[in-house]
Amino acid sequence: MRLNILIGGRAGQGINKVSQIVSRVLNKRGYYTFNYRDYPSLIRGGHNFNILSISDKKIGSHESKLDFIIALDEKTVELHKKELKKEGVVIGCNEFCDIGRNANIAQAGALIKILGIENSALIDEIKKEFGENKEAFDAAEKGYKSKKSIFNLPKLKNQITIISGSQAISQGAINSGINLYIAYPMTPATAVMHELAAKETENGHIVFEAENEISVANAGLGASFAGAKVMVGTSGGGYDLMTEALSFQGMAEIPLVVYLASRPGPGTGIPTYSLQDDLDIALRGGHGEFPRIVIAPGDPIECIEKTNEAFYLSEKFNVLSIILSDKHLAESEFSTDGKLNKILDVKVKRKVPGEGIIKATSYEHDKFGNTTESPGIAKIAADNRLKKYEEIKKECKKMEMIKIFGNPKAKNLIIGWGSTKTVILDALDSIDSSIENQSKGKWKFLQVLYMKPLSDEIKKEIEKANKVILVEQNVTGQLGRLIREKTGIAIKNRILKYDGKPFTSDELKEEILDIK
Amino acid sequence: MKTQIRKKYDDENGEENQMVKPKLKSVAVTVPLPVVGTTQEITWCPGCPNFLVLAAWKNALTNLIKQGYLQENFAMCAGIGCHPKIYDYLNISGVYGLHGRVLPVCLGMKLGNPNLKVLGFSGDGDAYAEGMEHFIHAARYNADITYFVANNQSFALTTGQSTPTSAKGFKSKAEPDGEYNMPLNPIKLALAAGASFVARINPKDIPHTQEIIEKAIKHKGFAFIESIQDCLIFDQNPGRDKLMYKIDNGKDMKKAMEIADSWDYNSKTAKIPIGIIYQEEKPILEEKWPQLRKLRDNKISWKNSK
Repeated sequence: MRLNILIGGRAGQGINKVSQIVSRVLNKRGYYTFNYRDYPSLIRGGHNFNILSISDKKIGSHESKLDFIIALDEKTVELHKKELKKEGVVIGCNEFCDIGRNANIAQAGALIKILGIENSALIDEIKKEFGENKEAFDAAEKGYKSKKSIFNLPKLKNQITIISGSQAISQGAINSGINLYIAYPMTPATAVMHELAAKETENGHIVFEAENEISVANAGLGASFAGAKVMVGTSGGGYDLMTEALSFQGMAEIPLVVYLASRPGPGTGIPTYSLQDDLDIALRGGHGEFPRIVIAPGDPIECIEKTNEAFYLSEKFNVLSIILSDKHLAESEFSTDGKLNKILDVKVKRKVPGEGIIKATSYEHDKFGNTTESPGIAKIAADNRLKKYEEIKKECKKMEMIKIFGNPKAKNLIIGWGSTKTVILDALDSIDSSIENQSKGKWKFLQVLYMKPLSDEIKKEIEKANKVILVEQNVTGQLGRLIREKTGIAIKNRILKYDGKPFTSDELKEEILDIK
Repeated sequence: MKTQIRKKYDDENGEENQMVKPKLKSVAVTVPLPVVGTTQEITWCPGCPNFLVLAAWKNALTNLIKQGYLQENFAMCAGIGCHPKIYDYLNISGVYGLHGRVLPVCLGMKLGNPNLKVLGFSGDGDAYAEGMEHFIHAARYNADITYFVANNQSFALTTGQSTPTSAKGFKSKAEPDGEYNMPLNPIKLALAAGASFVARINPKDIPHTQEIIEKAIKHKGFAFIESIQDCLIFDQNPGRDKLMYKIDNGKDMKKAMEIADSWDYNSKTAKIPIGIIYQEEKPILEEKWPQLRKLRDNKISWKNSK
């Protein structure tokens, strides 16, 4: 069973509220939901929509064909009726005009009735959101009475919680004992700043909004030097501004965790849409040669775990750890019932100021931290940085650097990373149920989580497969290039999407099957 | 091969490196003086006013440590340029940072441990060109940081180009026809941006400089000290010392602005006031968060919290 509901209207009309309330009702009933948020860069007006996908099985994507449109304005119907299935239903705004600002609640009521769920489930959620609000209750009631049930969704036993990528990154930082988060507002990284700021008092860390990203990265290094566990966050252009400080990190060897939420295109690009086009700068941003770790989680559970690993490795090796995400992962809301790996204890063991004379420098330096230009020491120091990377690689092998889904013996291999993980899983699931029935499937999916260091297993997997398909959301196939650099293998079959909109699982399935 | 090189290096440089380690050998006095200097070779030009600045800083730190300040609680950040080489010559914790980025690192140190006495060192290119945005905001945040800017009105380490405070007509290889713009007045800017301690010194007056440094460190909030000094190679100003006179102002902002206005960094004849131009106690950034107040009150760092 799978249904896709589009909720659209002008920014500020309560689109997120409706999808939030409806998905809560469904989650409580034991259904998995995935909520995709699509909005332009403006605050009021324009056209925003969410697509709420519902299933009795785990999902992590939406589909291109809609079962319902909840239209908070006329334009929504105009723009999206092409996507509606033949038997699809539009719940328009005109029939609830007289309700005023609670019209969206009435529309939610109508949907709940169509799905065959009792109105009290909706009222419960409205109560949680707005308190004892009679107007809202009446609106829900009126909407509920206006429709007939088409479906009858039975109660399921699944225990589901909803979490976005940004909430998960924040949770990972909190699990690691974060003391300080520093950032400058930039979509789509900002949600982590909001999330951590809201939890400042409860968790005891602090959030600081600095004057720009140059200050963010340098202040991050200063604080980390002083003994705090620090994460800084940014997107595209902000990361560019940080890169000089990241290079400084490489020389000074002060632990630093960077959260990089990539955004589409060069320049200002398409700020509120999604692309995986910043892998290259995550791997290479900053002058000179120095070790770093780049990890790209693919769902919220991995966001929690991998952020923890980033902190752990950064502190253990005094190294730069970058957590790479994008808008689709950061802002989509996933349902999850998974368990977490054990939390790694992140301890500051190094000596910090206050405990002695501690020096850290961006100049090449001798073992006491004093500036040197001696070629002998320069070579030794460079060799030591290289040696450290070998140690890092060894430690990373203890982590899940890649994951394999589907039938391990399958000869058809899909390779992807980051936010495409869940849509690839959904597409494969509908191709041959390989994800559920591991022994029968013809497909397997290799998810790359550690982009640097890169796992040696990738080469072996590619060599075992007959057909290899690379799936990425960027123009040039950046992971493909990385794999080619490290293994010498060029992956010829590539499914690349770079219009700013994420893959839908049904379209991705067709594209996969089209490759002969 | 690598181990051989390592060993060879140790043999060649071992002794020199040992010397960097502070050794309390001053047996002549009953209480050993703190070692606030290092034995790193000083690479400033002979006669550079930075030597005088260094002497004043060493005196100030020694004096403060004698008064009970803990040497290990000082933490500095130096930028990149001639003056910031002081990083190698002061025996306190610190970060030798990037050009222009001294103040963000200082701010980070303060948020990373509010118990540290944080000191920043920049030249005028570092502070007013590359790092200008941080300067304004640091004054506005008013975190408890002491910021020392050695202003020789030129980029010295890159061979004498003009900075935002170079005098009009200042000639360099980059501007053979001379600097086109009027210089910026950093004192006025600091006052306008909300700095709670603003002072100017002449490094040739070491006791006065030392006194101002000590007052700046004791001031709770962002303390800005600007040193007006020559670059013997690229910007000599013979006779300028005679134009300098001492002032001591408090929290009278109107008067402070008048003092700041009295020399425009361009005039060769106007009198140049030195001393404390403005000082007022204001709320500091670190006190915004109960979390940081707790660290301060318990005298612990994040590392030892919980």
